[in-house]
Amino acid sequence: MAVEQVLSVKQIDKRFTGVHALKSVDFELEMGEIHALVGENGAGKSTLMKILTGIHRRDSGEIHYLGRLFNPRDPKHALELGIGIVHQELNMMDHLTVAENIFIARESMQKNGFFLDKRTQNRRAEELFKKLNMNIDPTETLGNLTVGRQQMVEIAKAVSHDLRVLILDEPTAALTDAEIDELFTIMRDLRSRGVAMIHISHRLDEIHQITDRTSVMRDGEMIGTRNTAEITKQDIINMMVGRVIYEEPKSVSAVAADSEVVLRVKNLNAGRLVKDVNFDLHRGEILGFAGLIGAGRTETARAIFGADEIQSGTIEVNGKLVHFTSPRDAVAHGIGYLSEDRKRYGLALGLSVKDNVVLATYEDFEAGPFVNDQKIASRTDEYVDRLNIKTPTIEQLVRNLSGGNQQKVVLAKWLIRNSDILIFDEPTRGIDVGAKSEIYTLMNELAAQGKAIIMISSELPEVLRMSDRIIVMCEGRITGELDISEASQERIMEYATMRLQETLVRS
Amino acid sequence: MIKISEDSLKTLLAPAALVILYLFFGIFGRNFFSYPTLVNIIDAAYYIGFISVGVTFVIITGGIDLSVGTVMMAAAIIGGTAYKTWGWSIGLSLILIIVVGIAFGFFNGIMVSRVGMPPFIVTLGTMMITMGVGSIVSNVQSATFPTRAVADGWYKNFFKLINDDGSTIPTGAILLIAIVIISHILLNKTKMGRYIYAIGSNKEAARLSGVNVQRWEMMAYVIAGAYAGIGGISYAAIYTTVLPAAGQGFELYAIAGAVIGGTSLAGGVGTVFGTLIGVLIMSVLSVGLPAMDLQSHYQTFFTGIVVIGAVLLDMYRNKRASEVRLVTPADQYREEQLANIERLREDVAAAKSAGDSGKAASLEGKIRETRRTLKKTYARMRAEEKAEEARRKAQERASDREFQEMLRHHDQGDQ
Repeated sequence: MAVEQVLSVKQIDKRFTGVHALKSVDFELEMGEIHALVGENGAGKSTLMKILTGIHRRDSGEIHYLGRLFNPRDPKHALELGIGIVHQELNMMDHLTVAENIFIARESMQKNGFFLDKRTQNRRAEELFKKLNMNIDPTETLGNLTVGRQQMVEIAKAVSHDLRVLILDEPTAALTDAEIDELFTIMRDLRSRGVAMIHISHRLDEIHQITDRTSVMRDGEMIGTRNTAEITKQDIINMMVGRVIYEEPKSVSAVAADSEVVLRVKNLNAGRLVKDVNFDLHRGEILGFAGLIGAGRTETARAIFGADEIQSGTIEVNGKLVHFTSPRDAVAHGIGYLSEDRKRYGLALGLSVKDNVVLATYEDFEAGPFVNDQKIASRTDEYVDRLNIKTPTIEQLVRNLSGGNQQKVVLAKWLIRNSDILIFDEPTRGIDVGAKSEIYTLMNELAAQGKAIIMISSELPEVLRMSDRIIVMCEGRITGELDISEASQERIMEYATMRLQETLVRS
Repeated sequence: MIKISEDSLKTLLAPAALVILYLFFGIFGRNFFSYPTLVNIIDAAYYIGFISVGVTFVIITGGIDLSVGTVMMAAAIIGGTAYKTWGWSIGLSLILIIVVGIAFGFFNGIMVSRVGMPPFIVTLGTMMITMGVGSIVSNVQSATFPTRAVADGWYKNFFKLINDDGSTIPTGAILLIAIVIISHILLNKTKMGRYIYAIGSNKEAARLSGVNVQRWEMMAYVIAGAYAGIGGISYAAIYTTVLPAAGQGFELYAIAGAVIGGTSLAGGVGTVFGTLIGVLIMSVLSVGLPAMDLQSHYQTFFTGIVVIGAVLLDMYRNKRASEVRLVTPADQYREEQLANIERLREDVAAAKSAGDSGKAASLEGKIRETRRTLKKTYARMRAEEKAEEARRKAQERASDREFQEMLRHHDQGDQ
């Protein structure tokens, strides 16, 4: 039986500044299959999908689509040829109706070619929904629908382009169980019409429910493709984390047993993704926060730091109850936050190294009404040396530094502020290997000096190498806590994929 | 070849444009190179200059202030009414002008930073409010300030000193330059100034660094208001009579001055010296065009062209600066060989200082040899890479055509 390859990717390579995102990746998609694509955050799944849909261009390698060489110029081009993607974040206009969203930029027109023909457009949308067994009113304003329904509309929009390949990037992340079932029914229906689907998901139990084959990526490489029926969840985890551990994990905690608690979080609730979070952080400790994207780790950090509002719960710093209404309060209490998204939340890219390094400490450099530039320069020089920040001068714009050096600039900002509690959110994301180990060394030194560190990381080898203790989160809850001596990648993964029902059953 | 770095190009471009414009009008205009003309140019720059410098603070935070022009006029009218109708002393009236400017700036700042309204909307509202306030306070009459002839006219000397022999000194220019220097110091030497840049560059990062974003963002609007007050005084000094309806459109010149001077509406970038140059460019246009027998409304036309040209140039430069160039194997080879040559040079220097001239000579030969090979090999590698690139492009185009063909059949099949 010759199965037709819809899409075949050969030796795709892609580099971004400082990161080798895809390393000679091969991938094949058959006609009418649902193909799971899994891997840890940063494994290269999204990059690969972005290349298939023309958002990024590959550096080398070939894509064959329907047996022909295929070079998607942009998402529109890919869509015209029948490859569509539904992104994790919805890309639609809340204030327009469902039908207007579906037929945006290809509206039905009246014969005169000047006025919109809303009636025809609504009828077309209705036909589409009927075909897909969706029960949605085309004239409803999109923003009035639940997130799950909105996602259905987005899928319907993609399908209306007469797709042969549909890519779903974590389509279930925001859905309720009932909505997930509905989605899967639609996916099976599409499969029976010959549409091939790539299903990106972190929820391993779903993969067995819905997919035919599973491909696993890790560190920009394609690890392998298996028939989903022939593998277990454990097999997938093993492929995701890999048997080879590049970094020697810590085996015992370096924290003294009687080390005092510097941060105590009790029953913290904030937003949708922080539910009843409890933990202590000790002096000199590196506390790892593991979990998958959307587990609520960043949200927890932001709530503690006063960046987002807290609904309930208490925070104690050095034994004293605190109420942070803004990051300014947290900073005043010696907490520093190094965001996962340095460029958006950590750095003023258009300003110099010097200006960024002292951004949290201008008060300390004031002499009368003016800031003392010489003192700022000498302190900046000191930290540029100490952290080995590679920059031609301290006047260099931060925009022009590499990711690793940008991260060190953010770190320098908090060290000059003499923060005692440092929250590192994905400290080595987008940083090359050499700079990575420098950051690790720095973190260990800081902990040895008595600073307390929270390290949020989605890279398990990193969590195991750095942490003295590990807290694992899933869907806003802490699902497990491990001392480093009892931690392993497999155990962390187990906790990280443990959804609410399982948690309840276990405890 | 003279190499000018991107940075210095940026700072030199606006002054160069100003000088070129000045020379242009000097050559083609009538009686342009003269002291009175220079004084005219500077005179035309005052009040727009003050509010333009003020609005620069706001634009650097990433905001906008549309109300500076009308706040300036409202403040002047209120001050004039206080003097004429309420019988205040001239000194108090002038202080009132600045206070009114600050008050409106404060209002704008509160609405933007605390309430979180978009700056465009808040200041549009304030613009209309201040237009009305001027008329209401003055009872739709013009406000008249004391003339030079009376004792209370002393304040006019701040902006133009007329000597006994009739010659004039543009003291206003000195005041404007003083304000620019003070503003420069505020922006670069104080905590507030550095925060204003940080907020404009990345507000959220500033907030997460513990910066009191609300306070410092508000201060930018307060400064813009205070400078609008100073602008109001200068307007009163120059024109003596202030009409309620005047002042509309001034805000646009103020913003134009900042933009021509290199301040980015996206925030985080800008200097007050640039703004001064921008304002002077506009006044050179306003004085120079009539000298070429073009009526004054040509000024608006050409100012518009200058604004768009300045922003286009800025975008082009930013795009060039952010372009990522792929390093090909040929480039890599070239880099390596150049580093090689550099090392050999050092060896030569070492050999020379050691007095080993024979070794130095042989090393120099080696440098020449390396350079020849480099040139040849690099040219060959580049040619190969270009050919490969072209081949790939052709292949891509061919398969694109196939897809187009396929789609057409597909569409026809549908119907």
